[in-house]
Amino acid sequence: MVTIEDALTEQPLDPGEREKLERTWQPCPGFRGWLTSVDHKSVGKRYVATAFLFFLLGGLEASAIRLQLARPENRLLDPDQYNQIFTMHGTTMMFLFGVPVVLASATYLIPLMVGTRNISYPRLNAFGYWVYLIGGLFLYSGFILNTGPDSGWFSYVPLAGPEYSPGKRMDVWAQTVTFTEIAAIIAGIELIVTILKQRAPGMSLHRMPLYVWAILVTSFVVLFAMPSVALASQMLAFDRLVGTHFFNPAEGGDPFLWQHLFWFFGHPEVYIMFLPAAGFASEIIPVFARRKMFGHTAVVLALVATGFISFGLWVHHMFATGLPQLSQSFFTAASLMIAIPSGVQVFCWIATLWAGRPRFDTPLLFVLGFIALFVLGGITGVMVGSVPFDQQVHDTYFVVAHLHYVQVGAFVFPLFAAFYFWFPKVTGRMLSERAGKWNFWLFFLGVNITFFPMHFLGMMGMTRRIYTYLPETGWGDLNLLATAGAMLIAASVVVFLGNIAWSLRRGGLAGENPWDAHTLEWATSSPPPPYNFTHLPVVEGLYPVWERSAERPVVTGLSAERREILVTTVLDAEPDSRHENPGPSIWPLLSALPVGVTFIGGIFTPWAFVIGPALMLPALIGWGWPQAIPPDDRSIEEVAA
Amino acid sequence: MSEVRRVHDVSGVPTHAFSHHNLVWWGTVGFIVVEGFTLFLMMASYLYLRLNELDWPPGDTRLPELLIPTINTLLLLVTIVPMAKASHAAHHSDRLAVARWLWLATALSAVSSVLRVFELRGLNVRWDSNAYGSAAWGLLILHTTLLVVDLFETGAFAVLFQLGHAQRKHFPDVSDAADYQYYLSVIYVPIYLILFWGPRLL
Ligand code: HEM
Ligand SMILES: [Cu+2]
Repeated sequence: MVTIEDALTEQPLDPGEREKLERTWQPCPGFRGWLTSVDHKSVGKRYVATAFLFFLLGGLEASAIRLQLARPENRLLDPDQYNQIFTMHGTTMMFLFGVPVVLASATYLIPLMVGTRNISYPRLNAFGYWVYLIGGLFLYSGFILNTGPDSGWFSYVPLAGPEYSPGKRMDVWAQTVTFTEIAAIIAGIELIVTILKQRAPGMSLHRMPLYVWAILVTSFVVLFAMPSVALASQMLAFDRLVGTHFFNPAEGGDPFLWQHLFWFFGHPEVYIMFLPAAGFASEIIPVFARRKMFGHTAVVLALVATGFISFGLWVHHMFATGLPQLSQSFFTAASLMIAIPSGVQVFCWIATLWAGRPRFDTPLLFVLGFIALFVLGGITGVMVGSVPFDQQVHDTYFVVAHLHYVQVGAFVFPLFAAFYFWFPKVTGRMLSERAGKWNFWLFFLGVNITFFPMHFLGMMGMTRRIYTYLPETGWGDLNLLATAGAMLIAASVVVFLGNIAWSLRRGGLAGENPWDAHTLEWATSSPPPPYNFTHLPVVEGLYPVWERSAERPVVTGLSAERREILVTTVLDAEPDSRHENPGPSIWPLLSALPVGVTFIGGIFTPWAFVIGPALMLPALIGWGWPQAIPPDDRSIEEVAA
Repeated sequence: MSEVRRVHDVSGVPTHAFSHHNLVWWGTVGFIVVEGFTLFLMMASYLYLRLNELDWPPGDTRLPELLIPTINTLLLLVTIVPMAKASHAAHHSDRLAVARWLWLATALSAVSSVLRVFELRGLNVRWDSNAYGSAAWGLLILHTTLLVVDLFETGAFAVLFQLGHAQRKHFPDVSDAADYQYYLSVIYVPIYLILFWGPRLL
């Protein structure tokens, strides 16, 4: 049996090298280390874990919804509770789970995959996590205090405005959204820079793995989509708190301004979740098909095209608002166009599997489930993309069915695939395959039993967001079926959690590369050391681990005494400069707290917008304070002397 | 395990680099893109709300003052000069020159920030009077926030360089700060036109 120690197969050229690296990159010990960590792996792990916790909470809310709707005239939840719960479910899944988990897993994986020692701005990364955590805890504190938002996950004004939503509920929503947008933008910037400037020498753009491409495109989408909703949520907050009139028609404001700003973000958000998921699939399929990806370039182009087109689609969420004819046709055409790049990817995945010798382990099963569900969700998507059909099913369970086929099918499934695939890398242990197969089949059946009947419910006229219905509607049986399906999903998640708990202690040891995969994270130990690689690899092909020659080329000359990382050129990844990556720091946490004071306090008094930034100032000074001067970076006086 | 390895030595690669060779520069550009796009969306929202009114400013709202904003726009553009000088000095590792020009830039930014108070007053409308007022205040406050943050940053750098606490790696940071300042000044031109000429011309 291999132990984790043995897995460190790569002997350093200089025997003392690894000790030096250990010393330089070691985190602070104990609890302090937890608060000050800037290692993309520890922050990434806790980011993913937090996001999964929110997934579980969102799942509990979904179960409550399904139990309430299981039979007509049910009295489990009253209408007010129901409103809060479906809003919490949507908000949690989209803002606290969907986008964060995508970026969190990328902050873990990307630096390893591109072959660098850490993410570009590690303290900013930690700061982003703390801001996100504060936002999530804040939303749930509100919910526990019966101040959970209740106007739906897109908070349409005027319903969400000061007149129809008095109290603090929608303020809680607006500020939570702001927190998570800040965190997402930060992650987006770091990821772009890490991908463009820190790839291992030789990893030119056309040797970049597909998941890295997917995250690059996603991060750009984040950069342009998030400001829109952050701005909108601040406008909403100000309308509610200091009496501005952005959305108040009586004073020249406009509720459609909300809809435009929200959906300019809301539609691309679907792709912020889908693109990385597609990237997971494109990494996992070649490994389990045991052959190279069919149509690599086509997939890259499809990812980039999807990123662009996603911004042209927001108006299709507003077809029911009576927009001018021409723009309706335009947005219908654009909505249908998205089917093309998606189709290209599906085709390439199938072709790869077809031509390969597939090995049906759990990661691949989840990917196959994803393809099936995604195709179905995509078809209903094309249906609602056409204006006349949308008018019919608008605001019915048909839309709920469509959106969950896409969210659960095309997002949660690939995410589970990724979880099974990379768990050994992150923890050093394999997840149980047997439990994995139960996990998959319960989930797959559950999703179809839950959401397929909802298409019919929608066409039978069941509108979304209703807390109950009458027996005469005839919706009872299908709803009961849907609830039974939801229980299967819940069971599958329980299996999943049990699998993790068991495997963390008893799972088989993974070793460096248990799946015989091809990207760089599999060329270091599992789990990777704080410095990721003893020697940075040099990349000579698209499948670096598969194509590695006997004489493994490596980088030398980076300092092991300082946290030095190699900066390379954008296109060809040739060495460009060396950069010192900062060490552990408490300031990201201490800077996140004033952000919390500002936005949470701002709900109660506008003075918070003065006090918060005032508290921020010392934190930023601490952050920017020059660190101890390392040997070869003497102060300027000495240089001059 | 014994492996033959070919080695790619990077010990000759510079540890201090300017502009796109430097990692920090990319972060600065990232924030410029995000903030610039946010300002763009705010401008677009202002113009979108314009479509709802026959008159702009609506009703009996007074026109905004023109003098102070015009002066401040020019002042912001002038601030580019000391920042460019500071950046130039940073390229030549001239610590005291950097400090000198940064002090001047800080002083000018401080004046701009103070003038901003009068600009806000000179809008001649409150944020809670009508949507026009909300949009105008929103746009101006957004830019002001960035301006004040930048003022503190420039000031902090000035202190750092004056007292000799700066390290070599801070020279490129000065040139990044200069790039940021150019953006902040230049983007104010369309904001100024929309806010203060818009009501006169639109
Ligand atoms: C895993 C099992 C899930 C179940 C059983 C479930 C169930 C439901 C149901 C029944 C509704 C409709 C509530 C109503 O309109 O009255 C709903 C709404 C929604 N769900 Fe889920 N859901 C699940 C997972 C997810 C996931 C993974 C996501 C996103 C990543 C998601 C996002 C949403 C959104 C955005 C809404 C709309 C909320 C609103 O109308 O404001 N759901 N869900
Ligand atoms: Cu959409």
